[in-house]
Amino acid sequence: MSDMATENFANLAPSNAQKFRMRVLPFVLFAAVAVLIPLFGPSRSAYSLLNAIGINIVFALSYNMLLGRAGLLSFGHAVYFGLGGYAALHAMGMIENADGGFWGSVPVFAMPLVGFAGGALAGAVIGWPSCRRAGTAFAMISLGVAELIAAMGFMFGSIFGGEEGISGDRMNGPEVFGLSLGPIGEVYWFIAFWTVLAALLIFAFTRTPLGRMSEATRDNPQRVEFVGYDPTRVRYLVFIAAGGFAGLAGGMSAVNYEIFTPEALSLLPSGFVLIMTYVGGARYFAGPVLGAIVLTYMQSNLSDFTEAWLLYLGLLFITIVMYAPNGLAGIVAGLWNGTRATGMAYLKTWAARVVAIAIAMVGVIVLVEVAVRKSNGYGEVFEPFGLHLTPGSPLTWALVIVPLIVGLGLLRHLARDEQEAGA
Amino acid sequence: MNFTKSAALAAAISLCAGMAFSDTVKIGFIDPLSGPFGPTGDAGLKQFNFAADQINENGGMAGNTVEILPFDNKVNPKESLVQLQKAIDQGARFIVQGNGSSVASAIIDAVNKHNTRNPGDEVLFLNYAAVDPAFTNDRCSFWHFRFDSDADMKMEALTDWVTKNEDIKKVYLIGQDYSFGKAVAAAAERMLAEKAPDVEIVGNELHPLGKVKDFTPYIQKIISSDADAVITGNWGQDMVLLIKAAISSGSDVPYLTYYGGSLGAAVAMGEQAVGSVYQVSEVNTNLPTTDAQNALIDAYEAKYPNNNYYFHRIHMLMDMMDMAAEKSGSTDPKDIAMALEGMVVDGPYGTVTMRADNHQILQPLFVSVFSDNVQRDVENTSLGWASTDADRIEAEDTKTETTCKMERP
Repeated sequence: MSDMATENFANLAPSNAQKFRMRVLPFVLFAAVAVLIPLFGPSRSAYSLLNAIGINIVFALSYNMLLGRAGLLSFGHAVYFGLGGYAALHAMGMIENADGGFWGSVPVFAMPLVGFAGGALAGAVIGWPSCRRAGTAFAMISLGVAELIAAMGFMFGSIFGGEEGISGDRMNGPEVFGLSLGPIGEVYWFIAFWTVLAALLIFAFTRTPLGRMSEATRDNPQRVEFVGYDPTRVRYLVFIAAGGFAGLAGGMSAVNYEIFTPEALSLLPSGFVLIMTYVGGARYFAGPVLGAIVLTYMQSNLSDFTEAWLLYLGLLFITIVMYAPNGLAGIVAGLWNGTRATGMAYLKTWAARVVAIAIAMVGVIVLVEVAVRKSNGYGEVFEPFGLHLTPGSPLTWALVIVPLIVGLGLLRHLARDEQEAGA
Repeated sequence: MNFTKSAALAAAISLCAGMAFSDTVKIGFIDPLSGPFGPTGDAGLKQFNFAADQINENGGMAGNTVEILPFDNKVNPKESLVQLQKAIDQGARFIVQGNGSSVASAIIDAVNKHNTRNPGDEVLFLNYAAVDPAFTNDRCSFWHFRFDSDADMKMEALTDWVTKNEDIKKVYLIGQDYSFGKAVAAAAERMLAEKAPDVEIVGNELHPLGKVKDFTPYIQKIISSDADAVITGNWGQDMVLLIKAAISSGSDVPYLTYYGGSLGAAVAMGEQAVGSVYQVSEVNTNLPTTDAQNALIDAYEAKYPNNNYYFHRIHMLMDMMDMAAEKSGSTDPKDIAMALEGMVVDGPYGTVTMRADNHQILQPLFVSVFSDNVQRDVENTSLGWASTDADRIEAEDTKTETTCKMERP
C-alpha cells in the first residue's frame, strides 16, 4: 500500500518532456512570434497597436500577480503603472538635460527599470497599510488610494504636470543594441524585448517559494499561518513585486508615448486592466496575455467602427463573468482538453455554440447600432450590407428579435443536451 | 497568431488605401467629439466639413479633393497623441486642432519629433483655437501656424474695455486650471497693472477643466467680492455652466469673456444677460460685410440649423491653406508652410496677415455685447452679438512683440 502511494506520488511530478512543453515551449514560441512579426513588414498603425499590446501584456500580467495568484482584488493598479511611468519620464528628462555625469550614461532603453523602481517604491509605501487585510477591505482601500493619487495628480504640477502632463524625448542618451528609438519600428524592438523579459520574470516569480506562498495565502491564509508564514508579509511582498512590474509597463509606456498625464493614474485604466485580466482568464498564466491582446485590439480598432464599443466591451465582460469565469484562456483550454478527451463530438457542440452566439450577436448589434444612431439625433441610419435599417422599420425589429430568439433558443437547447448527456 | 494576421492585413489595406486616394488632401481633425466638450468640437468639425465642401465644389485644393478625417481626443493630451498617430497612419499630412492648449502643446511636441524622425514625411499642424501665447513665442515651431489671436492679444482688447469704463474699479478673474487659464489670468494681471493701476483684482480663481457641474459657489464668491466686472477665458461647457450659474444667482456685473459665443451659452444666458455679457472674437455675424460672406453665413446656418456661424477662423484657415496650395502649386506640408508665411489676405472683415516671424495670425478683433437688437440671432433665441465701429480693433493693433526664434528646415 505504502509502496503504491510513493509510486503515485512520484508519478505526479512532471516529466522533463512535460516541463519543457508547459514551461519552456510557450516562452520560446512567444519570443519567436515577437521576432517574426517585423518580417511581415507591418504598417505604422500595426506597430502602434503592437506596442500598445506589449505594454498592456506586462501591465495585465503584473495585475494577475495580485488578482489570480494572491487573490487580491485591486481597483487601483494604474497608480503603480502611472507612478512608474512618471518616474521614467522624469528620468528621461534628466537624460535629456544631462551634461555627462550619471544620467548622461543611462540609456533610455533602461527606462522600464526606473519604472520598476518607481512602481515598487510606490507599492512599498501604499502596500504597507493596505496589505494588512485581504478581500473587501483591501479592494476598498485600493479604490480610495487610487482616487487620492489621481486627485493629487492635478494638484502637484511640478511632478505630474497638471492637465498637460509631462512630456519627454526618447532620442537622447547612449544607444543600446544600435537602436535610436526614433522610428516606431525601433520602438517595437524595445517593447518586444521588455515584454518577453517581463513575462519570463513574472512567470519565474510564480515558481519561487514566495510566489507559491502567495497562492497558498489566497486559498487559505489561516493554514499559511499555521505552517509558520505571515500572510500579511506574503501579501505585502507580492504587492511590491506587482507594483514594480506595473511600473515597468509604465516605463515602457513612457518611452512609447513620450507623455504621461494624470489620467493615467485614474480609475479608468485601473478598471481596464481588471477587465483585460478577467476577460483573458485570471486562473491561467497566459490569460492576461490573451486578454491584453484582444482588448487592446478592441480598444483601438472597434472604436473606429462603432461609437458603442464600450457597450460591447461591457457585454463581453458580463458574459465572461457569468458564463465563462475562466476567461478566454479557460475557453481555449476547455476546447483543447474537451477535444482530446471526447474527440469530434465535443468540437461539434462547441462549433454549434459559436454559431448560436453569432446569431444572437446579430440581434444585439442591430439593436445597439440602431439605438445609438437614434439617440445621436443626426438622422443617421444604420446601413449594413446595403440594408436601410431605420428605428421604425419592421425589418429592423425582425432583425433584432428573430436572431435573438433563435440564438438564445439554440444555446438553451445545447445546454440542455449537455446536461442530459452529463446525467 | 491573431495579431500577425491583422498586422499583415492592416499593411495590405493601408497600401491599397494609399494608392486609391493619392489625389486627396487629408486633414486630420483632432478634437473632443464626445464628453463635456463634445458639442464644441462637433461645432468645429461641422465648419471644417463645410469649408472643405466649398473648396471641393470650387475645383479643390490645387486640383485635389479635400477630406476631413475626424478623431476624438476627449481633450486628453495622451489620447490626442494616439489619435495623431492614427491620423498620420491614415495618410493625413495636415492636422487641425483647437480645443485645449494642453492638447495643442502635446501635438506641437509630437509633430516636431515626427518631422525630425521622418524626413520627407512631414506633418503640418494648423491650430484654429488653442491660444496659449507660448506657442508663438518661446515654443514656436516652423510646423505650427495659429489662426486665432492669442490670449494676450484678446486680453489687450478686454483690458482696454475695462480701462475705458471708469466705474469699474474691482475685477474678478476666473478660469480653467491649465496652461490656457493660467495664461489668461497672468495676462489680465499684467495688463491691468500697466494700463489701469487703480483697478483692483479682487479674485483670481482657477477651477478644474471640465469637471465643475455647478458654478454657484464660485458665483457666490464673485458676488461677495463686490467685483464690478468678471474676466473669464472659459470655453465649452465651463462657459455655459458658469454663465448659467451667474444668471440664476443674479450676478449682473459685466462678464468679459473669450468664448461667450460657445454653443449653448446663449440659451443659458437668455434675456437677462443682454447688455452684460461681452465677448472678444474675430467675428460676430452682425458685422457689416460683403454679400458673398452673408450668403456663406446663410448657407451654413441653413445646412446646420442647430449651429451658428461661429468659427470664422476655420474658414480663414481653409481659405489660406487653399491659397497657399495654389501659390506653391503643391500640397506638400513644407511647401504649404513656406507659402503661408507672410501671406496677406483680404478677408470679409478686413485684412488678415500670417506673420512670418512667429506664425501668428493678425486679424481684426471685435468686442461684441450680447444684445436683443440684432439682425442675426444665435441658437434661435432672437438674441445675438452686436458691436459698433468703436469696438473694432484693427489687425495691426493686435500685434505683440515675440520672443520666437524660428528655425526653418
